[in-house]
Amino acid sequence: MIFLTVGTQFPFDRLVKAIDDFVSQSGLKQKVFAQVGNSSYQPRNFEFVRYLEKNEYDHTIKQASIVVSHAGMGSIIAAMSYQKPLLVVPRLKEYNEVVNNHQVAIARKFEQLGHILVAYQQEDLPAKIAELETFVPRQRKTNVEAVANRISKFLAEVGKAEKQS
Amino acid sequence: MTVNKHKKLRVCLVASGGGHTSQLLRLAESWVGHETFYVTTVDVMRDKLSETRGVYVVGECNRQYPLRMLKVLLRCIRIAFRERPDVVISTGAAAGCMLCLLCKMLGAKVIWVDSITNVEQISLSGRIVRRIADLFLVQWPELASRYKKVEFVGTVV
Repeated sequence: MIFLTVGTQFPFDRLVKAIDDFVSQSGLKQKVFAQVGNSSYQPRNFEFVRYLEKNEYDHTIKQASIVVSHAGMGSIIAAMSYQKPLLVVPRLKEYNEVVNNHQVAIARKFEQLGHILVAYQQEDLPAKIAELETFVPRQRKTNVEAVANRISKFLAEVGKAEKQS
Repeated sequence: MTVNKHKKLRVCLVASGGGHTSQLLRLAESWVGHETFYVTTVDVMRDKLSETRGVYVVGECNRQYPLRMLKVLLRCIRIAFRERPDVVISTGAAAGCMLCLLCKMLGAKVIWVDSITNVEQISLSGRIVRRIADLFLVQWPELASRYKKVEFVGTVV
């Protein structure tokens, strides 16, 4: 199953429609399932819901063989934490899909690091989806502990100061 | 008599829905032992945050929708006055920025963790908050070297 997820805050009709067109034109064998959020375009060629609760979302992504999404960090984090091959289509400022082109920037960076594939234009979708079938994402090394420690150290200092005052 | 080493702080955790919230939640260990409440922008985030008692949902906004901004601002003002946190921790975006500024005016310390999405420059909200932040963290080392009072200690994502 291909899981399409476009974020829940703002619509992303361009991607939902592009995947709908792709499914009808390519005669894709795989099932597609989508969380379309606030998008108003209604896909005709696959099942979709507006929102999935967290548990359902996690369950769906676990079942998926590949994931297609906007370049939002929530979707990227979700796909990466289940080590799913992910193709992103960045939201663009020129189409009013987002306030600036930060999605292009993060998509490019993560693509260079080998974590995800990117279709910068919807025309690239068919080729990129084909590539995704065999794509093995490189795991990301994070350092959550260091950041959390820095914050807890800071909180401890604040706590001490408050106690003295 | 044994005295607690540190005072238990009242911590406001604020993040927009989606990636901002995911990144903030990864830091959950850092505020263990303190009293927390969450502020987010969309209702669907509620179940992600279910483990804490107080969750405020202020609504989504950005600079394209000035009226919505105002509505969110009014809700944030109410929260700031009602809760009076000692510390605000935010990963952005607009609502996080508002609560950082408001609570700072009421005497809170401000911690900002800029989202990893901001690769080329610090987010707009982040650039505003940087002027008043007490701890400002970014997730790309290049950004830390370009701005004063900005630290890179690691990535959350």
